[in-house]
Amino acid sequence: MVSSAIAAVSRPFMAMSLERRKTLGLILLAVILLIFPIVNPDDGDIDNAANALAYATLALGLNIVVGFAGLLDLGYAAFFAIGAYFYGILTSFQVMPLWSDVWGPFAYLGLVEKMNQGGPDLVHFTLSFWLALPLAALTAAFFGILFGAPTLRLRGDYLAIVTLGFGEIVPIVARNLDSVTNGAAGLNGVQAPRLLGYNFGIDATPYYYVGIGLAALLIFVSTRLRNSRVGRAWVAIREDETAASAMGINLVRFKLMAFAIGAAFAGMTGVYFVAKLQTATPEMFNFNVSSMLLVMVVLGGMGSVWGVVVGAVLLQLMQTWFLPQVTGWTHSLGVALGNSYLQNVDFVQWTQLFFGLILICMMLFRREGLIPATRKVAPLSFAAQHAEVKRGGFVGLDRIPRWTPGAGNALEIRGVTVKFGGLVALNAVDLTLPAGGVLAVIGPNGSGKSTLFNVITGLVPADSGSIKCHGVELLGLAPHQVLEQGVARTFQNIRLFPNLSVLENVMIGRHARLKSGPFSSVLHTPGNVAEEAAAKQSVLDIIAMFGNRLTPRLAQMVGGLSYANRRRVEIARALASRPKILLLDEPTAGMNPAETLELAEQIKSLHDLGLTILIIEHKLDVVTKLADSVVVLDHGDRIAEGLPDEIRRNEQVLTAYLGRAARAAVMEETDAG
Amino acid sequence: MTSADLLLQQVINGLSLGSMYALLALGFTLVYGIMELINFSHFNVFMVGSMVAMLTLQALGVVGQDTVMTGFPLVGVLLVAFAMSMVVCGGIGVGIERFLLRPLRAVKGPPAMITTIGVSYVLFNVVLLTLGTDAKNFPNPLPPIVWNIGGAVLRLREVLIWIIAIVLMGGLTYFVQYTKIGRAMRATAQDPEAARMMGVEVDRVVMMAFFLGSALAGASGMIFGLYYNLAKVDIGFGAGLRAFTAAVLGGIGNVPGAMLGGVIIGLIESSSGQIVGAAWTDVVIFSLLVLVLVFRPAGLLGRIAPNKS
Amino acid sequence: MLAKPDLLLEFTGINTYYGDLHALKDVNYTIGRGEIVSLLGGNACGKSTTMKTIMGVVRPKTGTVIFDGQPIEHLPTSERVRRGIAPVLEARRLFPRMTVYENLEMGAYTQKRGATYNEDLDRVYSLFPRVKERRNQLAGTLSGGEQQMVAIGRALMARPRLICMDEPSMGLSPLYVEQVFDIIQEINRQGTTIFMVEQNASMALSIAHRAYVLQTGMVVLSGTAAELRENEDIKQAYLGEMQVDKKE
Repeated sequence: MVSSAIAAVSRPFMAMSLERRKTLGLILLAVILLIFPIVNPDDGDIDNAANALAYATLALGLNIVVGFAGLLDLGYAAFFAIGAYFYGILTSFQVMPLWSDVWGPFAYLGLVEKMNQGGPDLVHFTLSFWLALPLAALTAAFFGILFGAPTLRLRGDYLAIVTLGFGEIVPIVARNLDSVTNGAAGLNGVQAPRLLGYNFGIDATPYYYVGIGLAALLIFVSTRLRNSRVGRAWVAIREDETAASAMGINLVRFKLMAFAIGAAFAGMTGVYFVAKLQTATPEMFNFNVSSMLLVMVVLGGMGSVWGVVVGAVLLQLMQTWFLPQVTGWTHSLGVALGNSYLQNVDFVQWTQLFFGLILICMMLFRREGLIPATRKVAPLSFAAQHAEVKRGGFVGLDRIPRWTPGAGNALEIRGVTVKFGGLVALNAVDLTLPAGGVLAVIGPNGSGKSTLFNVITGLVPADSGSIKCHGVELLGLAPHQVLEQGVARTFQNIRLFPNLSVLENVMIGRHARLKSGPFSSVLHTPGNVAEEAAAKQSVLDIIAMFGNRLTPRLAQMVGGLSYANRRRVEIARALASRPKILLLDEPTAGMNPAETLELAEQIKSLHDLGLTILIIEHKLDVVTKLADSVVVLDHGDRIAEGLPDEIRRNEQVLTAYLGRAARAAVMEETDAG
Repeated sequence: MTSADLLLQQVINGLSLGSMYALLALGFTLVYGIMELINFSHFNVFMVGSMVAMLTLQALGVVGQDTVMTGFPLVGVLLVAFAMSMVVCGGIGVGIERFLLRPLRAVKGPPAMITTIGVSYVLFNVVLLTLGTDAKNFPNPLPPIVWNIGGAVLRLREVLIWIIAIVLMGGLTYFVQYTKIGRAMRATAQDPEAARMMGVEVDRVVMMAFFLGSALAGASGMIFGLYYNLAKVDIGFGAGLRAFTAAVLGGIGNVPGAMLGGVIIGLIESSSGQIVGAAWTDVVIFSLLVLVLVFRPAGLLGRIAPNKS
Repeated sequence: MLAKPDLLLEFTGINTYYGDLHALKDVNYTIGRGEIVSLLGGNACGKSTTMKTIMGVVRPKTGTVIFDGQPIEHLPTSERVRRGIAPVLEARRLFPRMTVYENLEMGAYTQKRGATYNEDLDRVYSLFPRVKERRNQLAGTLSGGEQQMVAIGRALMARPRLICMDEPSMGLSPLYVEQVFDIIQEINRQGTTIFMVEQNASMALSIAHRAYVLQTGMVVLSGTAAELRENEDIKQAYLGEMQVDKKE
């Protein structure tokens, strides 16, 4: 009876689409949150809830740095401190310079007031809470850029140590600059917020509602950012920096952006926290706070917006409700058993022990967190999975804008030499790729083919020479700048972003052709919306070029795709950047003869659209089908160039591949044989 | 005290502190060299070492600074305490590696390091909950023998610390240079796959590195107790910061570098107290760490550069 | 044809995958005691995967690897070395910050110290006088050819029954290539079986007894060195043009 009643009630829910269920869930959550203080007027509980909201916003900020961008920041509390002291100093009675008329206009604006404590007139800062929120965010962001600029290029674990350092220095500075911060005793008399004449005072309830607003705002901002060009760039950086850079993402700029925005979140929360407590002490911002936030993010799920909120709430619940409860029960048990240890144990003191255990257990057993950032997608039906080999090139090419190759040379490589230590990988190599042409580079292992691609795309520096792309010098440019010039590539061992879907991977290819920054992404300005829609459409068109091989798999994580399909996604990603020149590094590796033929024809159809192509390929029949001409490398030297048929018959080329027979005896034998 | 005396005193203090930091940095760098892992728990293993040493000495009947021993009993008591702290800490290190880090060896990125942060917390809090937060009187059986060099004072404990440090560092250098497993460790640090192809059991080598590194942390912990006459649960962080800076300064992964770095940091700490005040010393050392990582990441002697690999 | 009991290594029905990439497709070959057998092929044909499968760096999905009558496909690398297979790795991979002597010492890791150790050391020094000269130099400072000598010496110190060489000619000047191949022949004459993965077919076929040619993970040609030297199809296999349905 009960079960059929439950079934009856839940049927309409299950019938709704995922979107509507989510919206309904959000509305329900909002209602619960809003009526909570009315239902439970206990000020202590409300205060705990307000704290939980503060920690949730901090965790959201850390999630941007650690979860989205993959930058391990162990000193995040430093920005929390900066925001807190910003508001604290500008509203408490700690810093009070002498009054002079220059302060007059500020008093008029309500930012300061004149005070007299029985001596000369002094300035008392009275910055409004509401004004302090964005100002502290900016200040913290500024410090984020200041700390980040010299250190973000460090490798992950070293960055962690350095951020740990900043996280420690800031409270120490706060403790020692006691003229400004009142040292370890802390600032007091921090002003409570005022709204329309109502002073918040010390009652927790108004702060609770502000906390909800703050958390909602930051959840909104986080989600908007994640689903934008900025968020995609961050995740790409996290997954594979080199590939991200090769796809046009400016690593320095986006890492600083993550750091700064994360810092801004913390700065705002600092204002909120200190306003609620009406004091700020250095202990509130030490390493324990930074690591508690890390535990929240790890528990909830790195990169998962709702996950970290849940993580924050759970940890706060653990500390403020669960552990005290268990302590109470244990005390009762102790009384019942007459055990004095049980009667006196206080599990709240065990909080940090549990933090450590949570970190260990999550890393060992569930690294993706309680609510993982990437959701599993339903497996495809057999019909959707099955893809037939399509002959005749790409489909739907009419939807793709033609490339106009123009005249002149797409690539002019002159005298490029690349050395790794003592080894000469490329020796004064010359190569000319005419606009609209297809050039194949072949050669035995170790001949320098991949090095050639790497030096063109800026992943490896050249010792001498010049590489001009339509007249623009490429040597010395960073990889993302090379992409901006119109040179896109695939990698021999496929470098996709494994925890992103097919669609997201290819969208990242579009990054350099889009312009939206964080502000337009969050606000969904008309320009941003139009840009994203156009990008998505063009990406879908590109993906559709592969027939039904990729289109059914748009939402699948690329890590689960077959090797051949991953190769196709990588090519689509390169095409999404609308390059002038496409560099393909062994695109048919690992494909069976039928798939090889299909891809070869597809590449050829691209050529018919006007794209210039440079391809490394060792299957000579593919080369014959595709290439206008062939360049042969051996041990870093260019040893031959010509039409595919000529190359196949060229003695030097054969010797290069089969190896120099240095022994006279063998030569004799082959002559005689 | 003349300024020359002051300088000499600072050098004496600096060398003693430096010995402690050198051993701690050495333990840290051993693990890093083999696994390229920053082991956060190392510095609380150090703290555990000092606690174990304290408890051992207390169990052997040494009470506070009042029990003074000489000759063989003194040597015996010190040896037992050192042995206990080194073996217990070595065991903890092996346990951490075997059960918590080995499963993560194939996973790239931060999980292993985050796990060591968790272990660090667990160690700290277990000691906190069982022994409390107060500073404990570290038993010191050394006779109060002092030498006066001009106006500077050289105590027996400092000489003892130098001797112990030299013996341990020398022993470790010998081990790493001339024994079979030591060579295997060096080989694994340079190329683990090639080492495996020589028949090296990389798992065992890694465990050995953790054992030795943690044992050195334990010895370093006992030295802390002997030097400061106290043991406290929160000594790991400050000493850890200094030892980590020492390791990076000398060149992370580099054995002589860690020793050199330790001595330098010891000297810096002892003089920074005079120049800027103890409160700012942490800032000085952290700033040095950041500067080294940003401008000369390979350190003074090192090779592994902490930039993009 | 060699009689069965004289086979040192049998690679049977090996299928190796990297994820879903089928790198070795039903590969079969044998190595007889005392032979030099070479595995040839162009880019991305599966040569290095074969090497990794023998050494245990990569495990096959199906198939067996039998060494001296014992299956080894599930054994860890260190155990295979202990049983008598020593590698000479692609691009040498000496331990750069150890001396030449220490590298040789590492080669003997699985051997006990004693009379045999000194014998082996002497043997290496007499085969490679240059190595003896440079024995106290850091291995990373040697030239490519000198490193190759040390790498071969390092393998010899393990007293192996089978030496597996991965592209011994890679990155070497023609002069050194000649010297290295001379030495490989000499070692073989002294009784060690050699398995050599090599891109330089001409050099390899000048010293090997038998050879197999791989293309995209399948054996497409095999035979004695003399047979293969005359076989025109080898060019096609290298240039990736061979129609793989037509197998020998």
